[in-house]
Amino acid sequence: MMKDEYLGVFIDETREAIQQMNDVLLRIEQNMEDMEAINELFRILHTLKGMAGTMEFNTMMTLCHRMENLLDEIRNGRMLLTEDIVDRLFKGADVIEHMLNNIVENGTDELEDIDVKGLISEFEEMLEGKVDLSEPAGKAKAEEKTVPESKGEAEEIPIEITDDLLHVINEAKEKGFNPYYVKVSLKEGTQLKAARMYLVFHKIEDKGGEILRTNPPVEDIEDEKFDLDVDMIVVIKESAEELSKDITSIADIDKVVVKEFEPEKFQAGKEVKKEKIEEKPEIEKVTASKKVDRRKKKITQTVRVDIEKLDTLMNLMGELVIARSRIVETLKKYNIKEVDESLAQLSRITLDLQNIVMKIRMVPIAYVFNRFPRMVRDLAKQMKKEVNFVVEGEETELDRTFVEEIGDPLLHLLRNAIDHGIEPKEERVAKGKPPVGTIVLSARHEGNNVVIEVSDDGRGLDREKITRRAVERGLIDEAKAATLPDEKIFELIFLPGFSTKEEVTEVSGRGVGMDVVKNVVESLNGNVSIESQKDKGTKVTIRLPLTLAIIQALLVKVNDFVYAIPIATIDSTLKITKEDIQVVQDQEVVVIRQEVIPIIKLWEVLQLPHEDVEDSMNVVIIRMGNKKYGIVVDTLIGQDDIVIKSLGKLFADVKEFSGGAVLGDGSIALILDVANLMV
Amino acid sequence: MEISEKELVREFEVLSFVVGDQEMAFDVDYVEIVIDKTDITPVPKSKPMIKGIINLRGRIVPIIDLAYVLGTDVDESKYESIVVIKYNEIEAGFLVESVKGVLRTSTQEVESMGSLEKYGEKSKGLIKKGDRLVVYLDVAKIIDEIAGEE
Repeated sequence: MMKDEYLGVFIDETREAIQQMNDVLLRIEQNMEDMEAINELFRILHTLKGMAGTMEFNTMMTLCHRMENLLDEIRNGRMLLTEDIVDRLFKGADVIEHMLNNIVENGTDELEDIDVKGLISEFEEMLEGKVDLSEPAGKAKAEEKTVPESKGEAEEIPIEITDDLLHVINEAKEKGFNPYYVKVSLKEGTQLKAARMYLVFHKIEDKGGEILRTNPPVEDIEDEKFDLDVDMIVVIKESAEELSKDITSIADIDKVVVKEFEPEKFQAGKEVKKEKIEEKPEIEKVTASKKVDRRKKKITQTVRVDIEKLDTLMNLMGELVIARSRIVETLKKYNIKEVDESLAQLSRITLDLQNIVMKIRMVPIAYVFNRFPRMVRDLAKQMKKEVNFVVEGEETELDRTFVEEIGDPLLHLLRNAIDHGIEPKEERVAKGKPPVGTIVLSARHEGNNVVIEVSDDGRGLDREKITRRAVERGLIDEAKAATLPDEKIFELIFLPGFSTKEEVTEVSGRGVGMDVVKNVVESLNGNVSIESQKDKGTKVTIRLPLTLAIIQALLVKVNDFVYAIPIATIDSTLKITKEDIQVVQDQEVVVIRQEVIPIIKLWEVLQLPHEDVEDSMNVVIIRMGNKKYGIVVDTLIGQDDIVIKSLGKLFADVKEFSGGAVLGDGSIALILDVANLMV
Repeated sequence: MEISEKELVREFEVLSFVVGDQEMAFDVDYVEIVIDKTDITPVPKSKPMIKGIINLRGRIVPIIDLAYVLGTDVDESKYESIVVIKYNEIEAGFLVESVKGVLRTSTQEVESMGSLEKYGEKSKGLIKKGDRLVVYLDVAKIIDEIAGEE
């Protein structure tokens, strides 16, 4: 029963742990001496082992245990980390992932197609055949034991010292209390850790002391969300020795460190101190474990929410926005002073709420990017290419709907870059390029868009090859191809069934791909473009809107109906008369500041009956890329936040509108899809 | 023998309404709500049987002219109600003259329309209830047909 209840949590957390494992392993691969990373990996495996054990997935537990043992030997300097071991650890991570998937599908961690036992015994053998480096090992071990008591530790207290805290400490000092930094370590395997810590707290308070801060926070301690150590700041009249003795008298306490807390040290230059610590390599271990603690804390502060609930919240939010606008509209007629203020406040709150709800939907793109370093590494190894993979802008946030959709297209682009883009080492050297190829995956915000780029410094797209293939496939005729500029030729690769690679490789080039990339991106209201230069490299740019839900729009009227134009697409608005309109090649245009801008009348595009307008006409100038055009409407109503709603399947054939929005008065405005109005 | 016969006869409920002076009905399972006719916002360049959209509690719902779908002609001013249905994730409203109510019937009372099959696949037959003749419409077919039409 309990097992089922926790299975969901176990799956989520294990998935997270596997991701972390891969990240850390990549770091280790880059720098085999990265003790911090090795420690982190050890911790991850330790936690995973515990979780697997609780859930009675014994094979997974055993595997984690063996890997953990191996790492323990390494971090204690008794074994040397080799590339071979890292590869084996990667394999271990993969097997754990397979196990997890198997647990999700079949409820067991026993894999039939993978020799887990073999892997486990491999780890065992590695342990037995360990290289004995007893000399430095002893040292390293000693070092680690003494770390908590070393001088570095005393100066660096893993508790955030705020000004408030210092103030309280100083006040307590004046009243004759002594401030102490106390670190309590429980014995390994202690049961009821929270209860033990409660006894510690109780003891201190019994002696007239007060606990000002703890790390981890008290709530976490109560929930047993801590490893074995708890740090705290205590004020008490007792001496350090007495306090230490009191705490040690409690059962299951392994070690107590009590240090005089000197607030003066923190008052000035506490920022400087923090920085200094980052630089000090000798206490790296301490900061490393701290970092892990902090990360743990971060995870516990997030909540997993069912995406459906989030969507419901979003819908309700949309209706709240509408209801607010409706009230504002109604009250405009009466002009009651008294409600103005509360109404303004309501508006403010609604706006804040709207922003927050929007933000909840946004997730960092790291969600998608995270899995790529590992994949790129494996692919590059498989294809015997050397690739330096750079990820930029992982923190860029975008709507979570996109996050789920964009992963596969990006993976395909990366595969292409490795397989088709980056040349083998010898070829690169011959071309005078750096022997290791570089692939950059980046994300950034640009106005109301999220821009994702995949670029490589490989051989670039081959115009001749693409043309030849396109002609072969009958996608274009040769004469026409010759007249087209490079960009147009490159766009051909987005056509369905196109693949230039002479032989089909295992990884890419099955001819499904670039067209799928384009389809997915366009279904998300985005667009994709490609730039390439021979022997310089290729860059694919994906542009997505920030969100699909609420936008700012200009409301306009034609006949008696209201239409909405997304503000983001509007360049400007102006008034013209019939005389301003000229006809160039059957197209009506206006000339504004020496710029010739084609115009269309909305009623003509929508085939609505409308009288000819003689005098003043309102024109909304739309900007799309570097093209502009004007839409003539009857009246401009004003700007408003609108909640985009899909018109549904029955309107799938109507290209002129991207959706509808309910306005403040309950009526509906159709949202113009400006990309499809001008043919 | 008797048992299997019983199994074949299935009782069900339909919502009956009037369009073009003819009583018609939908399966109640599909019906979400019946509302008074409200302002309809036309959607230019959409399919001819779609009159436009309405705002139903913040949702945008397309309104279908059932008379057009069935090939009859009805004076628009006679429409008083909208029957909102939901099928296959599609929510849609049908303009009707008046709603008569829920009718309990059984498969026994449904007859094929035979040579009078004017509505084709859009109808599942004719419900005979006393002297009432109700055209039993197939909501799913009607919606599928509209959605599939380009």
